[in-house]
Amino acid sequence: MSTNELQVDKLGMIYELPNGGSVEALRDVSFSLAEGRILTLLGPSGCGKTTLLNIVAGFLRQTSGDITLGGIPIDGPGQERGMVFQQGALFEWLTVEQNVGFGPRMNKMDPDGTRHKVNDLLATVGLAEFGEKAVYELSGGMQQRVALARSLANDPDLILMDEPLGALDALTREKMQGLILELWDRTAKTIILVTHSVEEALFLGDRLFVMAPRPGRIEREYDLPFARLGLTEDARELKNSTEFVEKREEILSLIWEMEEQIMGHEGA
Amino acid sequence: MSLYESNDKLGGGVGGDKQGTVVEKTAGPGPDGRPSQSLADRLRGTTANDARKTVTFGDGSAVVGNPLFSIGTVLILLILWFFSEALGLVDETFFPGPIKTWKEFVLVLTDGFQNVTLAEHVYWSLRRILLGFGIGVAVGIPIGLAMGLSNALRGIFDPLIELFRPVPPLAFIPLLILWFGIGETSKVVMLFFAAFFIMVISARAGVTGVRISKVHAAYSLGASKTQVLRSVILPNALPEIFVGMRVALGVCWGTLVAAELVGAQKGLGAMIWTARTFFRNGIVVFGIILIGLIGVLLDLGMRKLEERFIPWRGRG
Repeated sequence: MSTNELQVDKLGMIYELPNGGSVEALRDVSFSLAEGRILTLLGPSGCGKTTLLNIVAGFLRQTSGDITLGGIPIDGPGQERGMVFQQGALFEWLTVEQNVGFGPRMNKMDPDGTRHKVNDLLATVGLAEFGEKAVYELSGGMQQRVALARSLANDPDLILMDEPLGALDALTREKMQGLILELWDRTAKTIILVTHSVEEALFLGDRLFVMAPRPGRIEREYDLPFARLGLTEDARELKNSTEFVEKREEILSLIWEMEEQIMGHEGA
Repeated sequence: MSLYESNDKLGGGVGGDKQGTVVEKTAGPGPDGRPSQSLADRLRGTTANDARKTVTFGDGSAVVGNPLFSIGTVLILLILWFFSEALGLVDETFFPGPIKTWKEFVLVLTDGFQNVTLAEHVYWSLRRILLGFGIGVAVGIPIGLAMGLSNALRGIFDPLIELFRPVPPLAFIPLLILWFGIGETSKVVMLFFAAFFIMVISARAGVTGVRISKVHAAYSLGASKTQVLRSVILPNALPEIFVGMRVALGVCWGTLVAAELVGAQKGLGAMIWTARTFFRNGIVVFGIILIGLIGVLLDLGMRKLEERFIPWRGRG
């Protein structure tokens, strides 16, 4: 067992509604995630995947159950858990390098060390030439590269990604998937990534949870080879391989079933 | 923020900015790499690409002020004004002609009126507005920020702000004169009120409008509450605060001139009011034009500051 294992035990989350009712966003969610794994969360809307991510991030406090990282209970946000959001979470009043150096600066790291670290990270995500640009001058894909670099600047144990590629066009998205795998391999960080795309969840997750709604729970778990293979093999070929396509169809029909149940539920 | 929306339009300048970026990428570049724009186009306020749009009626971005029309309007008005004076079409006691107005302007500029020069009138008006506006900004912003950050402070200030915000600042005059007399203080305090409420609202909107993912990102990067306030909330609220400052400065200017009509010896409002009682209508007319011009200059100045200090505005 590794030192920075994430332990989630019987996690429950109930949202109180203003009209007196309540929604069970998570029930009895238990799993452990070893250091260096990359876990993708997939499921129809309302399945609690973002709630789960927000609890791990420390932005929400669970109503029941325990959650620890490296044996220490999670209570509030902390820099050992880095965040990557969908577009719009960069600080547009800062330059690219100031964004990436934000964490070290908040920690009062010395300027030389910060500059060194920032330059390294920018080179890693392929933005070495863009440090002095304003973030709004960059394309969506480049902005997400900045977000990835920023999340790494404090050397976190765990990186949480909330639909990081959701706002990108299909081509850029494929490229960025490659970059995420590359960073995962290079830094050996543990990553949890929420996505709406079945293909993305399969390709990026060496573990994959398909979650189900009402109450939000883990419906099915997969251990997958594709993320590792994606480091060396061609992504398009991999995504067209028989195993990949089979898994994709299996998960798609699973999610379709859930969606239909929800629709039936609401009589729509 | 509908209050500010119409005002924002002013900031757009010639042509929609967004349109500009797109055009630069797709248009055939001119010799200097920029989209070709002929002199005629520039005078019309359009680009060559606008001319290729088939739908223009209803496309707001294709409607830009045409400088030729604007210059024409001013010229025609001036000519009509000259003619009416030359031909004696309008009774001078009701509306003086341009020559008489210009003479009055030169006279007040050099000799002054009632022993006060034009420069002094302008100085006192600007002094009052900068004091009242400045204090209103300095006090309004922290209170607005606090209201956006704390339940308790929001609760405490909400009823006061909501009740007094709709009151026209001039309505405070009777009380202010009672408390501070008719001197400078009452005027500055009134201008303070005019700016204060606008600044509270805009600073509060600036805070509550922050995208939560930015705040979350900052905490996850190890920022403390103070650091989040200084490094995220504040810069994020700046564009909204600046819009508030532009609105506040405009409102202050309008309020000031009205306030000077009551119990002031110096200031542009006082000048035109006193001139009226002496039937010096030329002074009234150039006073009005001058008040308008200074108002425009103040707004232009604010807009320049905005471009200089908040280049990221609207690009988050």
